[in-house]
Order: sequence, then structure tokens, then C-alpha cells
Amino acid sequence: MRIRRFLPFLFLLGLGLGAQDATVKDTFLQAKALWATQGDREGATARFEQVVGVLAPRAATLDPAWSQVLCESYNWLAVLDDRHAQTKPRAQGRLQALIDLDPDFEVDRTLTSQRLTTLFDRLKAEKYAPVKFSYSPEGGTLSVDGRPGPPLGRRFLPFGSHKLAYSRPGYASVELSLDLASGEGRTADFKLTRVSSTVTLYVQPSGAEVLVDGRSLGRTKGQAGAEAAALAVPLGLRPEDLSEAFVISELAAGPHQLELRAPCHRTKVLEMEANLATPWADHTLEPIRLDDSKGTLSVGSAWPGGELFLSGQSQGPLPVAQLPVCSGPYDLLVRFPAGGFSKRITVEEGKALTVDARPKPRLAFLGLEGETDFTGRARLLSLLEGLGDRLQQVAFLPARPGEAPREALARVKASREAELILLATPVPAKVVHQVELLVATLEGEEERLLVKPLEEDPLGALAARLNAVPALHEPGLGLSLLEVPGEPGPWVLSASEAAQKAGLQVGKALTQADGKPLPSIQALRRVLEGARGSVALSQGGAAVTLPVQTEALEIPLGASNLCYPAVLAHLRLLYAGAKGDEANLIRLNLGLGLMHFRKYDKAIEQLRDARLSTVSGVSQGTLDYHTGLCFLRLGSAYQAEATQAFRQALKYPQATLLGPDGPLVGPLARQALEDLK
Amino acid sequence: MSPASPWSRTPVALLCALPGLVQVSARAQEGDLAERLYQSGERAYATKAYQEALDTWSQLLQAAPKSEFAPRALLALARHQVEVEHKPEAAMPYLDRLKGDYLRAPEAADGLLLRGTLLARQARRAADLKDAMAEFNRVIDLFPEAPAVPEARFRLGRAWRDQGQWGRALHQFVEAFVVRPDAAIAPRAMLEAAETLDLLGDLPGCLRLLQQLRTAAPRSPEAQEAAWRLAVRVKHRLQKPPLANEGVWPAGRVKWLKTPTLLATAADGDLLIYQNGLDRAFRFHQGELTPAGAGAPGAKAMVAAPAGEVWLLAKTGLLREQVAAPMPLGGLSAISGAALDRWGALWVADAKTPALTVFSPDGTSRPVASPTANALAPLPTGGLVIAADADRKLLFLDADGQPRTVVPYGKDLPATFRYVVALASDGAGQVAALVEGGDFGEGVVIFGPQGAVLRQATFKSLGISGRITSLAMDHAGGLILCDRRNDLLYRLN
Repeated sequence: MRIRRFLPFLFLLGLGLGAQDATVKDTFLQAKALWATQGDREGATARFEQVVGVLAPRAATLDPAWSQVLCESYNWLAVLDDRHAQTKPRAQGRLQALIDLDPDFEVDRTLTSQRLTTLFDRLKAEKYAPVKFSYSPEGGTLSVDGRPGPPLGRRFLPFGSHKLAYSRPGYASVELSLDLASGEGRTADFKLTRVSSTVTLYVQPSGAEVLVDGRSLGRTKGQAGAEAAALAVPLGLRPEDLSEAFVISELAAGPHQLELRAPCHRTKVLEMEANLATPWADHTLEPIRLDDSKGTLSVGSAWPGGELFLSGQSQGPLPVAQLPVCSGPYDLLVRFPAGGFSKRITVEEGKALTVDARPKPRLAFLGLEGETDFTGRARLLSLLEGLGDRLQQVAFLPARPGEAPREALARVKASREAELILLATPVPAKVVHQVELLVATLEGEEERLLVKPLEEDPLGALAARLNAVPALHEPGLGLSLLEVPGEPGPWVLSASEAAQKAGLQVGKALTQADGKPLPSIQALRRVLEGARGSVALSQGGAAVTLPVQTEALEIPLGASNLCYPAVLAHLRLLYAGAKGDEANLIRLNLGLGLMHFRKYDKAIEQLRDARLSTVSGVSQGTLDYHTGLCFLRLGSAYQAEATQAFRQALKYPQATLLGPDGPLVGPLARQALEDLK
Repeated sequence: MSPASPWSRTPVALLCALPGLVQVSARAQEGDLAERLYQSGERAYATKAYQEALDTWSQLLQAAPKSEFAPRALLALARHQVEVEHKPEAAMPYLDRLKGDYLRAPEAADGLLLRGTLLARQARRAADLKDAMAEFNRVIDLFPEAPAVPEARFRLGRAWRDQGQWGRALHQFVEAFVVRPDAAIAPRAMLEAAETLDLLGDLPGCLRLLQQLRTAAPRSPEAQEAAWRLAVRVKHRLQKPPLANEGVWPAGRVKWLKTPTLLATAADGDLLIYQNGLDRAFRFHQGELTPAGAGAPGAKAMVAAPAGEVWLLAKTGLLREQVAAPMPLGGLSAISGAALDRWGALWVADAKTPALTVFSPDGTSRPVASPTANALAPLPTGGLVIAADADRKLLFLDADGQPRTVVPYGKDLPATFRYVVALASDGAGQVAALVEGGDFGEGVVIFGPQGAVLRQATFKSLGISGRITSLAMDHAGGLILCDRRNDLLYRLN
């Protein structure tokens, strides 16, 4: 029964005191009421014991208010035990526990019998001697044997030697040594000498960093007490809205700059005039309020399953709209089921930041194969471990310490936590002059790069290639332009029907774009890159406004500046978030990427089911032509399929390779059909 | 020590393994020696101590024929014969050995490519290209990932083009730059692809690709070439502005020549001028005249030969810069034009001979059936254009001399002319004719590659009077005329 009554307290004990403040307090008050109003000694005793059971194990860390509750509970228990013959012997133990907890505690003489009071005093005198203190000025901190506490007028200290120190901001501290023995009382007088001014601050919010002349003095903490009411109320604040007093002491003569910083708040800088420092005095500034500094963050993605993390803290699944965020820099991370997106962002006060998260492939570094030692091994390994800092288009996962590359590969393959792997293997020779870097997709497309461990930047080429992502679109106007000597600007070779309807003339040079001279195609390209929606073009007369279109591109094949496994990984992630023509253009380029690796069968899988609605430029005819090429390269068994694909390609006479101005597919498909006859 | 003791078994095991160990050790030593010999040869070659390098590599081939450095040495020896000694025939044995003994080595790709290139150079007719094309195809099939592949495709494209197979040529040129866009050969492949598109009748495609080449490799020589090829096509075939007389060219230079009678444009765009009064040709470069070619009194035709040479044809024969004695031209006495074809054969037109005469590089000649030609100019197709005054027709011939397009004099003109005095072409397919007689009178007509009239003007309308005997098409879309009476040049634009 007794155990059952204690069960809630044991549970609360496990959770920590903070979670049970109200319950303990309530039990304490109930105990007092049971005795005062009902004379229920047993009921009151049981409840005081519950309070002691919770508080006593944490006595060393209790704050003064709870320490007082514990002391009073002991006092009550001593009184209640003393009232019954059976429990009377326990009273002395209660008093001894009280003295051990706080020798300075005075028993309630209205409650406690004279006999018990005498017993209390006698027990205390067996171990403690009284010391009387005087302070000038008051309001400082008294430390006894290094433990700071309030400057009480009288303290009971254990027999033996003690070091006493009294300090107060703006004054030089004073230390005393006392040797206490049984039966003797002592006095200690502290008189401090002023050495500087002090400035006391109350800051909202608590936790603000305080800097004087750029030097951090610490952070404000806690809540102000009633002493700050006179300052807080005129400002419409409650004292608890403010931090505890933060005292700046040792203020040198002259003016100073006070700076207050707090996360999520606007930094405040105040000038402190010289008269605050001299003559020496104690100053209290008006409470300082730091204004909120927040912006909003919206993160979305066309790819499903993303979860947003801001500087490591999860903010939930995407999309995240108008999330209030403290202004400042953050490491934004979105984890997708495949791939990840990371970006260093800065949220500005009062502004809305929108981020569109596109997953990047993850590259898992498996490690350096083998134990072969060679000159430059440690340096190369360190460079490989730091490769992630140089990559913008790929998220880098460093090798796990102690894990062999083979094990790492098995782990990555099983968990699919990365789309790409990187493995370094020394090339055996008398002296290791080369290390092979293998970059591969989990699907098996791989590239090898030989580096020299002693060269200045062995990973420069790899980093550059991993950072290069070919574009799948370019902005265009539906025009074919030439640079013809003697013409004032790009000369229009051909224009789409829409451009001609809008008034653009074929066979004439463009002279202006958006009101600015247009000397070259390169200049127009720059205009298009910065254009929003449309561009106004002039051919010497009235301007013609043409909408900016996105024109499809093929990825270049065999380009030495690209890392094709990474390109494929990018495309696979892009495909996951794409729809319609966009998805099919990605499939076309996935097919090209697979053709680069001579995986013609896999390329056909991508190409044959893709359908582009466009008929000019990189379009359906391009898809069909590449499908034909793949069948052709699979050998004579697929001759019929190749023929069919090339015939299909011929239906799109405006289809091109590479980009909108690339070679027409038609003549190439026609020739391929001719060769197939 | 008992027989079963491991101490007795160890020597036995060692003895058993000895032959293998000795073999492995010998191979390692051979490889080591080969590497050092190869590097020693490389060092010597870099300092131009060629004989030392050749000896060292030959020693390597004898001492370590099975090492991985042997095919490298063979390739280096072959390249030396081609690039330094200029003796391609001496390179062939090395390349044959590389192909025969080391076909699996990575160097075989470069070896096959070089072999194919040399065979293509030796070819004197389209049928001779078979062996060269086989080597290029081997590079593509056996070493699909080798860096030599784009050049093999490019050369295969050239071979198809030389056979008039423009579709197949285009396919190879496009593959060469699509599959490896940053290969050194890519700009040349783009240029050839653009030219081939024009031959296939796709002028916009040609122009777009020329522009793309300028964007993709703006600093390459091919981009410079693309610039003028694009410019002349746009001007002559798309813009077609009326021809205007810019006057004496260069401006203000009159009486600065001595009876100029023949003009031609060199491959680099420089103007070649034959001055009858000085009996020789001159190269006009940046305002300066420098003698070019051998002295040739009374030259009747001038040919801008490869490598900047100037050939002159006179009654005495063909006069070349490097050859002291003139090559007899078989009694041709009224030479009216000449052109070199892709195979190095010289096609000569004679106003008194009802055929064209083709002189092979070895000096032999053969007639090619044709009407009597009063003027002749080469075409980028590998063929020729000739003017037959007797038939009053321009004939566009293919590389075999067969007429592909016939254009009657005066077609698409307001009035007809009777004679063609001279023909010129610009390497981009346009042909200019210097004409006279008939109702048209003296003037010039510019034709497209298919014989369509693009631009024309009479000298009367241009205000030109003089004795114009020849013309040339410049790289900026202009026509240069030479006036033998007034010893000056005109430029039409």
C-alpha cells in the first residue's frame, strides 16, 4: 500500500524535479493543511515524507526555494514524530538531517517545542560554530570555501579552517581565513575598496551576448526579480520579461561601445558615455529590448519524399511554406529517398526566401584500396577525404574509419545511400607514380582517372569534372542567327512561324535587344540569360517582342570535361521529378549517356518508350534517330528495328542533333537507311 | 635431418619452381630494359638526336620484342619517317609490323590510323582508297574508345567524300565531332560536315554548322575558314546585292602592275597575279607583292597548288617552283584553263582540243571526252566547271569528268553573251564567269553550285573600260578583275 502511494513520486523522480514542481509543492501544502485543519498527524507525516523522498536525494543541487521546502519538511517531521511515543525517537534524526542540510536554518519556534528547539541547538553546537558578519558596502556575494552565497548576517560553519571572501562588482574583493573550534563564536568584518564604476543591464530577451568594445563579457541569463519592477513596468514589461541583472564592472575610463547580440534578434549597439566610467559609481541602464529579426523560408521540390533540415534540425517533410525563421546563415539540407540537396542560405530580416530543392547525387568515397605504402599516400588520402568541400553538384559522403573499401561497397549497394562511388587504387609499380580513381554508378557505369600522388592538385581534374553538369536547355527565340561580316548585328537566317508573324524579318540583321545595341550572337545570348519572359528585338525599325523559349539540348558525348557516371546519376535524379516532355528529354539524354558507355540495349530501353511532342530541334526525330543507331550497333539481328527507327526519324525533317542549330537528322537517317539496304 | 623434414622439402620445392621463377625474373628484366631503352630514345628524340633515338628504339625491338614498349617504339619510328624524314614509304614496314604483331596493343590504333592516312595520300583514284578505308574502319571497330577514333571517322568521311558519297561522308564527319566534341579533329570535322551539307543541298544546315563551329572553337584556324565560307555563301546566295564597282583596287593604286593577265586565289585567300610584262606570278599579301612560282613567259593558265605553290602553264609546259625543267603538256598550244584535282592530277583545257587532258603526277596523260573548253575552274565537289563557247554552254562536271549540270549561256540573264573569257571559283561552290559578246556584252556573272545565276553585271553598267582578261573571287565575297591595258585591278562588291 505504501509502495503504491510512492509510485507516482518514484516515477516523477525518474523524470527529474522540474517536471513535478507543482505536485511536490501541492503535497507539501496538503501536509501542512492536514495537520493544521484536521490534526491528521499520520496523513501529514506521510505527505512530508513523500516530499523528503523526492527532494532529499537532490539536496546538493536544489535551489534556495526548494531547499527551504526540504528544511521545513524536516522541521515538521521532527515536530510530528515528537508527538507520538512510537515515533518520538525519530525526531532527533529529523533534526540532524535538517542541520546537515542547512546549519543556518532556524527552526520554527511557534511550531517547535522548547525541548526540541534546545535539542536542535545542542546538536548544531556539536559540529558548528556561529560567525557574525558585517559588510561594507552591502549587496555583495559571500563565498565560503569557494561556494558563493548570499551575504547573511550570521552563519553556522563547521569546526575547522575556512576561507571567506566577500566581493561586489566595482570593488576589490576581500578574503579572510577563520579557524573555528567548539564553543567559540567569531566575527568577520568586510570593508571593500571601490576600484571602478559598474553598469547594470537588464535585457530582453535573456541569453543575449554582451560585448563591450567588441569583447564578449558573457551572456545574460535567468529572469529579473522584483527589484527590476521599477524599471520594467514603465516600459509595459513585467520583471520576468527581463534577464537577471548583468553587471559590467572594471569599466576603464572613457567612452565605451556596448553591443548586445541574441539569436533571432537584431543586434543593438549603444554608446556608453565617459561619465558612466568616471567618477566611480554604480549605474543601472534602462532595460534594453532587442527587436525580433525573422524572415520566412519556403522550400519546395518537384521530387517527392524530401525532408527539410536547417542546420541539422528537422523541419518536417516538403513542401515547407512560409516557415518563420530567425535571420542569419543556415546549412539547408533536404534529404530525398534518392539523392540530397544542400545549400548554404542566409535568411534576411523581414524577407521571404524561397528555395527549390533539386536532389544532387551522393558520392560515397569507399577509401584507398590496399595497404601499399607510397610517397604521398597520406596527402592524397587527406585530399580525398576533403573532396566534398570542392564539390557543388554532388553530395560527398566520406569513407568510414576502419572500413575496407570492399565492405563499404557492399554497405552502399545494400543501403542505396549513394548513387555514385569513388574508389582509389594505387597502380602497382616499383614506385607508385599513379593512383587510379574510379567513379561509378551503382548500375555499373564507370570511369577511371589516373592521378599522380605527388602532383600539385591531384584531384583538381576530378573535382572539375564532377562539378560540370551539362545543360539540357538553353534559352532561345526560335531564330537561327549568323554573324555575317558587314552586318550591324546577328543576321537572321531563319525564324519560327510565330517570330515571323510577330514581325521579325528573315534575311535582316538584328540591331537592338531590349533597347540596347546588339553587336553579336554572344551579346544576344547574354541578354537571353538575363531575360524575364520576353525580349524586344529591333531590326532597325519598330521593336518586335518575342517570348523566350527553352530549347532542348543533347548532352555532349565523349567530352573530357564531364564525368559521365555523375552525369547519368544527375539525369536519373532529374527524371524522378520530371513530367511530360521534360521527362522524355531526360530519357533521351539518359539514352545518350548510356550510348557513351556502349550500353546500347539499356539505351534503347530509355529511348524507345520516350515520346517528345516537339518536331523541330532536339525532338522526336532525334529520339528515333538515336534509337536507330542503338539498334544498328546491336548488330544485324536488329536490322529491321533499326530500319523502322530511321524511317520514323525521317518523318521529322526539322529534327536536329545536339541543339536547335545542330545538324539535321534527316540526311543522316536517310544515309543510314541507304546503308541498311 | 630425416627425409620427411620440412628442411628437405624446401630445396625440392624451390628446384621445381626454379624454371618458372627464372622465366618470371627474365620477363621482368626484359620489361625493365625495354622501358629504359624506350625512355632513352624519347630523351634523345626530344633533343633532336634523331639517329641516336632511332638506334635505341631499334635496339629495343631486337632486345625486348615482347615488351609493351615494342609497339610504342614501332609507332615512334614510323612517325619519325613521316613527320621528320618525309618518307612515308619508309614508315610502312614499321606500321605493317605493328599491325601484324601487335594488333592488341593500344598503340595499334594510332598505327592503323597512320597507315590508313598514308594509304589515302598515295591514292590516285577513288578505287585506291579501299585499303585506307579498311584501316580507318579497323580503328573504329577494334578500338572504339581510342582517342584515334574521331580522326579515323574524319578520314573515313574524307574518303567517302572523295568518292562522291556525300551522305556517308556527312555521317562520319558528324560522328567525329558528336562523339568526341573536344577532340583536336572536331573543328575540321565540323567544317567538312558543313561543306558536305552544302553539297547535299542543305545551305541553311551548312551555314548553321559553320556558325556553330565559330562559336565552339572560335580561335581555331577552322573558325577563320568558316567565317569567310559563311560570308561568301550568305552574300552570293542569300543576300545577292547588285554588284557594285568599288573602283581601283587596292584603292588609289594605278599603273602598279605590268600587264596583269591571270588571277587566282590561293588557299589562304591571298591573290595571285601573273604579270605578263614580268613573265612571272606574284603573291599579293597585305599590300605587298612577292614573286611566286617559276618564271614563265607567256603563261596561259595559273594554278594555286597545295602548300602555297604556284603552277604556271605556258607553251613550254608546266612550270613548278620546285622543279627546274618544265613538264611538257603534250603539244597543247591554246591552253585556256587548268585545275588540280583531289588526286594531284592536273586537268588542262585547250581551246583547240575537243577534250580535256589530265596529267597524272607521274607525267602520263589521258584525254577525257569533253567539248572544247575555253575556260576552266575547279569545284569543291572534286569536279570542274568548263565553258564551251562553241556550244554556248557552261558544263559542271563531276570528279570523273561527267557533266552533271549544263547551263546555256544567257540562261536567267536579261540578254545572252557569246564568250567566256575566264572562270573562277571560290572554294565554297560559287563560280564567276568573265563574259563578253552577244547582247549582254562584257561583264561578269556569278553562278551557284547548281548553275543558278546569283549575281551579274555588265562592265558598262559598272563603268569599267579596259582590257579585262581574268578574274578571281576573294574571301570577302568580292570579285577582282585584272585590266591588262591599264595595269591595274578592280574590285566588284
